[in-house]
Amino acid sequence: MVMAEGAAVLRRNRPGTKVQDFYNWPDESFDEMDSTLAVQQYIQQNIRADCCNTDKILEPPEGQEEGVWKYEHLRQFCLELNGLAVKFQRECHPDTSHKTPKECPAIHYTRHTLDGAACLLNSNKHFLSRVSIKESSVAKLGSVCHRIYRIFSHIFDEYENETFLCHRFTKFVMKYNLMSKDNLIVPILGEEVQNSVSGESEA
Amino acid sequence: MDEQAGPGVFFSNNHPGAGAAKGLGPLAEAAAVSDGAAAAGAARAQYSLPGILHFLQHEWARFEVERAQWEVERAELQAQIAFLQGERKGQENLKKDLVRRIKMLEYALKQERAKYHKLKYGTELNQGDMKPPSYDSDEGNETEVQPQQNSQLMWKQGRQLLRQYLQEVGYTDTILDVKSKRVRALLGFSSDVTDREDDKNQDSVINGTDAEVKETAMIGKSELTDSASVLDNFKFLENAAADFSDEDEDEDVDGREKSVIDTSTIVRKKALPDTSEDRDTKEALKEFDFLVASEEGDSESRSAGDGTDWEKEDQCLVPEAWNVDQGVITKLKEQYKKERKGKKGVKRPNRSKLQDMLANLRDVDELPSLQPSVGSPSRPSSSRLPEHEINRADEVEALTFPPSSGKSFIMGADEALESELGLGELAGLTVANEADSLAYDIANNKDALRKTWNPKFTLRSHFDGIRALAFHPIEPVLITASEDHTLKMWNLQKTAPAKKSTSLDVEPIYTFRAHKGPVLCVVMSSNGEQCYSGGTDGLIQGWNTTNPNIDPYDSYDPSVLRGPLVGHTDAVWGLAYSAAHHRLLSCSADGTLRVWNTAEVAPALSVFSDNQELGIPASVDLVSSDPSHMVASFSKGYTSIFNMETQQRILTLESNLDATTNSSCQINRVISHPTLPISITAHEDRHIKFYDNNTGKLIHSMVAHLEAVTSLAVDPNGLYLMSGSHDCSIRLWNLESKTCIQEFTAHRKKFEESIHDVAFHPSKCYIASAGADALAKVFV
Repeated sequence: MVMAEGAAVLRRNRPGTKVQDFYNWPDESFDEMDSTLAVQQYIQQNIRADCCNTDKILEPPEGQEEGVWKYEHLRQFCLELNGLAVKFQRECHPDTSHKTPKECPAIHYTRHTLDGAACLLNSNKHFLSRVSIKESSVAKLGSVCHRIYRIFSHIFDEYENETFLCHRFTKFVMKYNLMSKDNLIVPILGEEVQNSVSGESEA
Repeated sequence: MDEQAGPGVFFSNNHPGAGAAKGLGPLAEAAAVSDGAAAAGAARAQYSLPGILHFLQHEWARFEVERAQWEVERAELQAQIAFLQGERKGQENLKKDLVRRIKMLEYALKQERAKYHKLKYGTELNQGDMKPPSYDSDEGNETEVQPQQNSQLMWKQGRQLLRQYLQEVGYTDTILDVKSKRVRALLGFSSDVTDREDDKNQDSVINGTDAEVKETAMIGKSELTDSASVLDNFKFLENAAADFSDEDEDEDVDGREKSVIDTSTIVRKKALPDTSEDRDTKEALKEFDFLVASEEGDSESRSAGDGTDWEKEDQCLVPEAWNVDQGVITKLKEQYKKERKGKKGVKRPNRSKLQDMLANLRDVDELPSLQPSVGSPSRPSSSRLPEHEINRADEVEALTFPPSSGKSFIMGADEALESELGLGELAGLTVANEADSLAYDIANNKDALRKTWNPKFTLRSHFDGIRALAFHPIEPVLITASEDHTLKMWNLQKTAPAKKSTSLDVEPIYTFRAHKGPVLCVVMSSNGEQCYSGGTDGLIQGWNTTNPNIDPYDSYDPSVLRGPLVGHTDAVWGLAYSAAHHRLLSCSADGTLRVWNTAEVAPALSVFSDNQELGIPASVDLVSSDPSHMVASFSKGYTSIFNMETQQRILTLESNLDATTNSSCQINRVISHPTLPISITAHEDRHIKFYDNNTGKLIHSMVAHLEAVTSLAVDPNGLYLMSGSHDCSIRLWNLESKTCIQEFTAHRKKFEESIHDVAFHPSKCYIASAGADALAKVFV
């Protein structure tokens, strides 16, 4: 809720806010953000603005340290993947491979991976600060990416059209060379992907 | 070899001859002779002056080379010596700096203690206040051997004077008895734990005093000094005694404080008109100044020292002996006071007697000084250790004790200093604070809740801000609801070892996934078996809470999810659980309040919509004093009480609103006091307001924070209120006095949001806060 005239904009979702009014404030440029969580704020803002525009979302603002940028993006991916996991839980139908949702390996894998990623990305040991990341910790991002990618390889459906999540993830991974291209097995519809990558194997 | 032999041969050959020219002749002859002889002889015979000269020069050159080498070596060694000396000096400096640092930290510790004591009792704690000024000046001297030896000397002198005054006062048998009893009591108290050496030490001291006293008692009855001067001295001693006794016996703190305060006031009154002090008295007083200062220095160094410290052993024993004397002094003082009333016009003993006294005392004093040098370093410190531990059982003074704990104190203080937490967390500076407050609580026996809270756990796992949290009613388990669409359950007893920070890290034991959007609120049922959460998807999810000891990586169990309560059409912002009826209350951005039966997954029992005249409900709570009522606060700034049975609005609590901007009157939270019929509301305009449920009147209103107040919680006993705000601070308030008793700075801002929720544990001593920075913090 933006206050009437003249007063400063308070970017808060207060209790009682309707869903459609959520985040109902003007966008802020990255330089104006003075909170320590500015990177996350910026990424989320861009996603809200247009979730298909993966290039803009992935483009770091000037002077932004790359390690932190990657880290915050990974956090955002895990966040959004939670939604995927929920959907998965809901719609898991008994197949030949498993009878009950309890046995569903995809659900297992998704939950475990997300929990594990949450643990690692939030661990004090590797990622103590959200403003600067040490070099050794940046290496861990690659392994997290691998695991998350496998979640995508388990399922890939119309959820993607709503959020372009896999699309964005693939681009993200390639942009920062967090995974080798041979591992990218999920068929991505985008032509840009095929253009930028040579010899990507498709499942 | 040949060459060496050569010159000898040459010279011996030359000797009978004369002159250099002749030398050639015999040489040639010798050469000729030796030619006929062996080959070695032939080599020997070939001497020529140039050859010899060459040889000499060669030798000389060799010597020179060797000398040069030696010079170089010597220079190297000297350089090495200098380097090592420099290193040693550096180490010494380092040591000095560290000790200085220790003292500074201690100083801060004492200050904080004083502050806290003042805060708790409203009186000044005499303990630390006297020390800082002289301490700082002492610090300048650094704890070198010399000042300590000086101070030791001063102690000796002081004690001598003390003894002298004691005997001036005059010992009667009753005093002696009392004194010996007291001594025995103190000794008995300390001898349980102190070394035999110390006992002997003290015994000898006491015996010395006793013997002396008996002697001097014979010498003469009290030739008392000017009453005031002696009293002054006793006051000095009393003050010094108070220092030690403070440290010794916590239970006596209050008593001694009062006595000290009393006597100090008396001193001041007395000191002024006392112009008739003679030179001796002045000197004596000066000595006591040193005594006090040195005692202060001593106690500082005593408390600063590690077990391995060196000179400090000396000091530690002396103060122990002092303790005994102090006890004696107090008794004597009292006795003296009585006597003073009876007697008047007393004279000081002459100098000769003083000298005698000094001589006697010196003999006695040598014993304590001998002991430390005899004893090994570890023992005095260990003797100090148990005594102090018992003395200061309540105050965890990790400083004085084994070096490791001393270091940990330093580390702890460093870390606390380096932590992000602000003013309120100076409590974190002192390791002892928890124990401190414990001690006071035990002593005062006021309420079950501790008075100062310290951060203990940081819960990291969420990817986005945490909007709400709820404690399990019995177990040390917490559930957090976050904007990352998940809820996580944490067991506070399963902590992960964290390397750096003072607060421990906890990992979640379970993650609840079912919401399709940010989860905004969560409550637990009264037995902790179920929990309910509401989110932006308009659903209220019910969960069967898993066993707190579950393995986080167990297989997925879909039975955890009970099923959603469907009904709301917009974000569910508030939930409240009614234990009496097993009902759940919810309020939503769609403008309605709903009541649900938790036993089954079914539509709401009742819906209140009230045509939205009051606005959109932002928060709802049950009225504790009347289970059929609920209180809800609305976005337009109104708060009302409803009857759930009749579905009527009973009462609208008083609110004076002006017709200006909308958002400034937003009420973020309403809670009901657990025992009194009071409702408390947290406002966007930084206020917290208290209303009477029966009359609806505003009882109290206060500006509580620098920014909007977002959350409230009342402790289970109903004595304290906790409020969280977007100004990144949490405040604890005493509900009776409506004053803030503690403030924490916690959580960073995301956008302009900082702290979303705070909560007390219903049965254990935990408080928790939920932040927009995706962290939850737990304080104990």
